[in-house]
Amino acid sequence: MPSFVVVAVVFALSALSRPSALGPAREAATAPGPTSDAATARGPTIAAVTGTIRGRVEVRGSGGVREVRPDPGALGMTPMPDPRDRRRSVVYLETAPRGAFDPDEARRARMDQRNERFVPHVLAVTAGTWVDFPNGDKTYHNVFSLSKANEFNLGRYPAGRSKAERFERPGIVRVFCEIHSHMSAFIVVFAHRYYAVTDDDGRYRLEGVPPGTYTLAVWNETIHGDPPRRIVTIGESGGDVEVDFTIR
Amino acid sequence: MNTARRLALLLLLFCLRPAPAAAQVTVSGEATATLGARDESAFFNYTDYEHNALRMFRVSLSGMWRPVSRLAFVTELRSEDVQRVIPYALYVRVRPWAGRAFDIQAGRIPPVFGAFGRRSYGASENPLIGYPLAYQYLTSLRPNAVPASADDLLDMRARGWQASYPIGAKDEAPGVPLVTAYRWDTGVQAHAVAGRFALSGAVTIGTLSNPRVDDDNRGRQLSGRVGWTPLPGLAVGASAARGEFLTRGIGDASEAIFGHRSSGQQALGVDAEYSRDHWIVRGELIHNRWQLPVFGQPVIETPITATAAFVETRYRFTPRYFAAARADRLTFSRIRGEANFDGQPTPWDAPVTRIELGGGLQILRNLSARAVVQHNWRDAGRVRTRTFLSGQVAVWF
Repeated sequence: MPSFVVVAVVFALSALSRPSALGPAREAATAPGPTSDAATARGPTIAAVTGTIRGRVEVRGSGGVREVRPDPGALGMTPMPDPRDRRRSVVYLETAPRGAFDPDEARRARMDQRNERFVPHVLAVTAGTWVDFPNGDKTYHNVFSLSKANEFNLGRYPAGRSKAERFERPGIVRVFCEIHSHMSAFIVVFAHRYYAVTDDDGRYRLEGVPPGTYTLAVWNETIHGDPPRRIVTIGESGGDVEVDFTIR
Repeated sequence: MNTARRLALLLLLFCLRPAPAAAQVTVSGEATATLGARDESAFFNYTDYEHNALRMFRVSLSGMWRPVSRLAFVTELRSEDVQRVIPYALYVRVRPWAGRAFDIQAGRIPPVFGAFGRRSYGASENPLIGYPLAYQYLTSLRPNAVPASADDLLDMRARGWQASYPIGAKDEAPGVPLVTAYRWDTGVQAHAVAGRFALSGAVTIGTLSNPRVDDDNRGRQLSGRVGWTPLPGLAVGASAARGEFLTRGIGDASEAIFGHRSSGQQALGVDAEYSRDHWIVRGELIHNRWQLPVFGQPVIETPITATAAFVETRYRFTPRYFAAARADRLTFSRIRGEANFDGQPTPWDAPVTRIELGGGLQILRNLSARAVVQHNWRDAGRVRTRTFLSGQVAVWF
């Protein structure tokens, strides 16, 4: 069957040539938030009067579930991923106000492992945040990441136990379970605190944004390449600005 | 070949077909390139497709179409060394009751016996490159040819890579392992999970040593496994299987001459896995019995048995680097010939011991490299000890 072998080889080798979801190309292209002093200096300073940026992110064409591999060796049904996971996006300011990057108090966040899923599927945190990974299942889990932004391996631990990892570098951290290949999640680490994860309806709300002009961007796991951006201005008197995104 | 072509076409159509809103189509491929020295004198690592497990290029494409949450069609196509494409898995999976962890699978299905046979290859589940002896090493037994006497069987010691016997097929062909990990059987299986227990049972047309797509003896194999997870991280299992091993012609001849069929394979197995932090330790013990018809003198004291056991471990130093080791032993029951070994009781095939050590690097989540050194000892054969170095790169999408 030479023709099919060729197809199979092309499929397999294409994984090498395509930017990997864990690879540096995608991480660099979509790394959220400014990380340099220059970016900080360009942004307005934090003021007493602030505004709110809100809106909705619509994700179209999320199609098949790419992260789940068929498991021919299984003797039964494997959990189906929640289709809402792929619609979850993170909206953030690319240029944040001066002072937004100042060291913050130590923060903690939580990503559960429940019914062989990471909950939430997308978590956004500020650099320096400790994230707890409690195991709420009856089986072992082994949380790990090979992402350059934060490479870690928590090892295997049982139900009822939790391990934590500190995320110090801004970037996108892809999280997996070494035991259950269908489990995956994203932790998006920002250098500042001006970001929001969309809810089940795709709505987001960024509060406390000082007056100024910003670049608003959105991250979603289905985006390959540059993220959609909008220029947003908060007036001197604050107020609300509504910005919607559509990701195809 | 035509069947494989149709399956491939079907799978590609699945990929191209737009999925209904609730349906899932998932496709995955894997390419594994393994490079090692040739082994055309000892044949320690040959598989039942006459390929060398330590020197192989393998491509696989798997797909699953799940039109509704309780129904899935699963397939995996494989090609080894750029030769024929084999439908390694092709079955339908049904969950009759939504609220119960009870599943039925029918088609070319994964084995319920033991643990290693269901693990995926190349990615993370086989920490080394070689396979355990029980799942790969070719004994001198064949399903379509049998020895007429004990001396015929003893003549084939350490020649499982190409055995021949006077009764049945006259050609030289590879023998079979205790449980093959290179082919899956065809039939129906059920799997249920109740608390800490998992129960699996299957009815298939082949046997552990000789899984089949087409029936060659009208026999059916019954196999089952009970799994128990007493603690998180510790899983133990006990398996059993019984089926018709020899082809119909030999079985019929046995029945005509002796009034009963002596053609069965029975197996018992226990498996265990313990994992904690960055360690995994696994082990399996498999005991096999084969009934052979005894046509001549000196008689073969049946059943003949083979027992294999292995222990393997893996330690992950960092998210990227790991080390692994496996110790493996395969032994055989003793029979007595006349012309061979002065009539002394002698294992009917040559016992083998294998140690494999290795390490690996996870370059990306879907790209890994590993290298192993494997040493084999065998009690007979032209080459009795052999050390192999092998390296492997595996990529999947």
